[in-house]
Amino acid sequence: MNIQFKKGVLELCVLALLTKKNHYGYELVNEISKSVLISEGTIYPLLRRLRDDGYVDTYLEESPKGAPRKYYKITDLGKKMKEELTKEWLTFTKNVKKILEGGRENE
Amino acid sequence: MNKKDFLKQLSEKLKGISREDKQDILNEYEQHFTIGLDESRTEEELADSLGNHNEIAKLCKANLFVKKAEEIRSPSNIFRAVFATISVGFFNMIFISGPFIGLLGLLFGLFAAAIAITASGITGFFGIIYESLFYSKYIVIGINTFAGIFICIGITASGLLLLIGCIYLAKVLYTLFIRYIKFNLRVITGKK
Repeated sequence: MNIQFKKGVLELCVLALLTKKNHYGYELVNEISKSVLISEGTIYPLLRRLRDDGYVDTYLEESPKGAPRKYYKITDLGKKMKEELTKEWLTFTKNVKKILEGGRENE
Repeated sequence: MNKKDFLKQLSEKLKGISREDKQDILNEYEQHFTIGLDESRTEEELADSLGNHNEIAKLCKANLFVKKAEEIRSPSNIFRAVFATISVGFFNMIFISGPFIGLLGLLFGLFAAAIAITASGITGFFGIIYESLFYSKYIVIGINTFAGIFICIGITASGLLLLIGCIYLAKVLYTLFIRYIKFNLRVITGKK
């Protein structure tokens, strides 16, 4: 299966998860791949890009099991981005829904 | 494929980037395996769901090269960024290489025109001087020598102005194109 995602949807998923709480990479990958079909490995490059652009930050935290884990945390810039992407997404789905329901009004 | 093979192959595909970046990327995947194994998944299962190491490497490289082209503006950096992004997927090939070739052509044309206009002004200038010195009675283009000289200076100056304009345009287009590439990189192609 080859999927081409609407621009920014994966970013939105990551940012939305990070708005609720800080996560380490494995958790993010797991959460997202539960609902979206994607090669899990491609989420890490996405995380790096979000970090380079200043939407998320990373820090290391000790884990009860061995080596410290790299955690991701959303920044203020990231929160703003999340708001924007959410708005975009809601408009998009609303419009698709309108088409699916065969809305007659031409706006 | 087990953990060791996956990391080794990924590492091989990541050739051409700095050692720190490479290590950083590999650490991330290693951590993924470590945590996955703690949750009693097998190495093969984890490697399988991570997907194709080639795709991962291409994405990482595209991100890094675009970032570099953004930080240090140079023709070689933008070319590398464009090629790295094109290799990520079929859609990028169309949406990036098309506009890139178009813009490159536009800039090339404008630069060539600017250089040609400047050169014609300079040649005309010396031509008229030469002619007025040696064959002052037969001015071929049939206008006053001084008027001719001023026209040629004017042509040269506008050629140079166009050249300066082209350099600015190239800079502006560079910035815009990087933004465009980044916009396109947001489309993640996933295979499963």
